[in-house]
Amino acid sequence: MTTIQYLTLIDTLARFHLRGEARQFYLGYLWWLLEPALYVAVFYIVFQLLLESRQPGYLYFLAVGKLTFIWFSKSVVQASSSIENNKGLIAQVTISKAVFPLAAVQQGLYRQLAVFSILLVLLFFSGKGQFHYWFWLLPLMVVQMILISGVGLLAALMVCWHKDFQHLIQLGMMFLLFVSGVFWDVNAVADADVRRWLLFLNPLATLIDAYRQILLLGSMPKADLMSVLLCQSLFLLTIAVGAYRIFQARIALRVLSR
Amino acid sequence: MTHLLMLDNVSLSFDMGANIRYDALSSISLQIAAGDRVGVLGANGSGKSTLLKIMAKIFEPETGQVEWAPNVTASLLTLGLGFRPDLSGRDNAYLSCLLMGLSSKAASSCLNEIESFCELGSFFDQPVKFYSTGMRARLAFGSALLNQSRVLLIDEVLSVGDSVFREKAKQALEEQLSPERAAIIVSHNLGQIRSLADTAILMERGEISASGAINDVLEVYQRSTVTSR
Repeated sequence: MTTIQYLTLIDTLARFHLRGEARQFYLGYLWWLLEPALYVAVFYIVFQLLLESRQPGYLYFLAVGKLTFIWFSKSVVQASSSIENNKGLIAQVTISKAVFPLAAVQQGLYRQLAVFSILLVLLFFSGKGQFHYWFWLLPLMVVQMILISGVGLLAALMVCWHKDFQHLIQLGMMFLLFVSGVFWDVNAVADADVRRWLLFLNPLATLIDAYRQILLLGSMPKADLMSVLLCQSLFLLTIAVGAYRIFQARIALRVLSR
Repeated sequence: MTHLLMLDNVSLSFDMGANIRYDALSSISLQIAAGDRVGVLGANGSGKSTLLKIMAKIFEPETGQVEWAPNVTASLLTLGLGFRPDLSGRDNAYLSCLLMGLSSKAASSCLNEIESFCELGSFFDQPVKFYSTGMRARLAFGSALLNQSRVLLIDEVLSVGDSVFREKAKQALEEQLSPERAAIIVSHNLGQIRSLADTAILMERGEISASGAINDVLEVYQRSTVTSR
């Protein structure tokens, strides 16, 4: 297969999966928007209404963080089980197994495009959004796609070897939810060293902060942090591609013999 | 005679957990040449499907070697285990075409041909979860028929569906089997194996226990099934 054929296959798998998934629910594609909106609503009720956060514009602050996080977490979790879920196809055709996690990542992108479109409209009409540097969203989303692809591919390979990793990945997502500045501002950490390490060690914290810089503060994301984020994402993707080259031939046996 | 495919002392075992290994294939040696039509016989669990998966490059052998002649591809025709139940027959057929390496344009243009071969009527646009086993088999066979591989590995696709469709599928397969191609056919339908294959191998517990002309091997197989009862 040529690269174009692989890309067509990945995109078709993603679109068909989304179509099949939507057919299972009464509200169909509406769940793409309802699910993240309900997540944000739940956290808003807890943090703004019950715990009475005094931060102005907290709903939008939370929405940007949470929606960015959901894109990452949902895509990685779906990618992690994608090889296992496609064992029927794996038993029939000889293709690169990376196709399945990458199709899951592509599904996440389609969902997120719809979610971000709604978010941008809300920010625009509420007057809470800043749009001077909106064009920075595109490179940021590309970097996030690279990050999700690398992590998703590695997660799928791990689950393929031992299904136990599925539990650890879900637990890992819970941990990331609390340390990535979804509910709180990573820039509010008083200790500068802790703040720097938090952003350096957790690419997701850098991403969420960058989206807020662009959409809520109307400033450009920090160049040094963006460079580190891009390097980290490319590094993870390179490791993942290498791992698939090494283990490709053993994946089918691993999945089909258990 | 030029060999399309050669297996030399191939073995493969599965990890069953708790340090138990199951020998799916043991020391299999086999040569497939252009024009060969080989039937594979054996009881359930004897290693027939695993052998086809090795030939289709889905599994790699643990020991031994598999050699394909340059530019020779092998394709596995099975009962559409990979069909997505929530998608229509049309979508699944399109996906099958892409998985076989067709471009999106070529895949789209094949759909009419597949639709008319399957004879599913309006069901072709309904989700596959509403299909009977026979209807799934029609879709699987219709989608796989477009395959242009030199080596066709046919796993039980001719054993299901009604008798009219089985005969149609057999005829379509006969048309595909040119002297440049080879076919390895797994089926529990002995009549079909007899009419499609020239030679056969008998698999028992992951090993080839008999090989030769189709009628000779069928006789050994039928004797062994009577004895084991």
